[in-house]
Amino acid sequence: MAAGYAWFLVLASVFLCNLMKTLLPSISSFLTKMIQKDAEQEIEMRAEIQEMKKEQSSISMMDEFARYARLERKINKMTDKLKTQVKSRTAQQAKMKWVVNIIFYILQAALMISLIWKYYADPVTVVPNRWIAPVERLVAFPTGVAGGVGITSWLVVCNKVVSLGLLAVS
Amino acid sequence: MESAETAEEKTSSISVAQRRAEIRRRKLLMNSEDRMNRIVGYAKNESENNGASRRPTEPRFHLDLDRTEQWSSSSSSPRPSPFLPEASGYGSRSHSATPERRGSPLPGCNESPVASLEDDIGVLRQRPRGERVSDDLSGSPRRGFQTYLSFDDAMKLANNKPPQDEESDSEEFDTFRVFRLIGSILLAIFVRLFVCKYLSIFAPFLTLELAYMGLSKYFPKVEKKTKTTVLTAALLLSGIPAEVINRSMDTYRRMGDVFSDLCFYFFTFILSHEILLFVGSETP
Repeated sequence: MAAGYAWFLVLASVFLCNLMKTLLPSISSFLTKMIQKDAEQEIEMRAEIQEMKKEQSSISMMDEFARYARLERKINKMTDKLKTQVKSRTAQQAKMKWVVNIIFYILQAALMISLIWKYYADPVTVVPNRWIAPVERLVAFPTGVAGGVGITSWLVVCNKVVSLGLLAVS
Repeated sequence: MESAETAEEKTSSISVAQRRAEIRRRKLLMNSEDRMNRIVGYAKNESENNGASRRPTEPRFHLDLDRTEQWSSSSSSPRPSPFLPEASGYGSRSHSATPERRGSPLPGCNESPVASLEDDIGVLRQRPRGERVSDDLSGSPRRGFQTYLSFDDAMKLANNKPPQDEESDSEEFDTFRVFRLIGSILLAIFVRLFVCKYLSIFAPFLTLELAYMGLSKYFPKVEKKTKTTVLTAALLLSGIPAEVINRSMDTYRRMGDVFSDLCFYFFTFILSHEILLFVGSETP
């Protein structure tokens, strides 16, 4: 009645989902870097601002006020431009993170629903009934098979174990 | 002679009338203060308190009364009540929001001397009430401040969520917790190998949890900070004491620990069972 390795399939699915969840920030930042191509321009702008600031610090404001003021205006203009660029990049990053999270949760929900649908009537494993007394009905839910371990209780148990295990490892 | 007598009568009647007017005005001013307190609430009470903290109001009021009474009894020439400048100075400091304080003397009315005496007694009686009001004023900002503090604490708690979440995650694996999990795993293996044929697998688990309850005092206690979430902030704001929230969170945490132990126990039991079945099927 029970598939031989159903318990392992469920465990592997839960492990994969939890692993992907921990890797979500890295995935979203990687995708953001791939999509955004003006990161080099931002680096150049930062370097240019640094250089101008260095030059400005070498100029005496009293002696060369006009040059100082011109540099100041240039720095301010470039800083504003950089700020705008950083804002748009940050917004894009946040949007990407949101999209990746949404896609992940949809996929996870689909996987869990498919597993529950598949093993709704079949237990993932069967043990002698007296071993899991007096909560055999709860453990066997929703299969109703005596001594069986239902998909819901096994999912809950695997989820808890895998999440704590990954937390300990990370 | 008659003119002198009539003049005396007139001055005495004026002084009586003025005295009555003065008392009536004082009564109205006191009522206006209560009225303003009711309308404005704590803000006015705080401002009055600030004014009160700068100088003693009640003794001054008492002096004002004495002075006005002396003045009214001496039947001096009609002049603005000495209370008026006092009132204006008084009002500028604490009763600035009460226009009646700065206001003109009340119009005289026909009252009997007995009624005026009763008014005096009433005014004198009202003074302790004013003092009580000042006590309330001093108390209510404190209460309000405490409320403000609790709201402030609640907002601080809600804002400090991310770093404390990280701390709680790292604190989750303290020594005792690791000991519990390892103990559950080992017991599950032991139960699968030797015990499960004779009784239910949950009986040894319950015994283990009872043992953990006793062993917990021998392990170093890690002060786990309450997980500050929007829920705890909302509970604080709704008036539930922080102690109750802490105890509930502590109980919830303990239940979570037991549930984690159960999950590890059951998982290890099933896994070892499957491994044994696999090994048993593999062996010829």
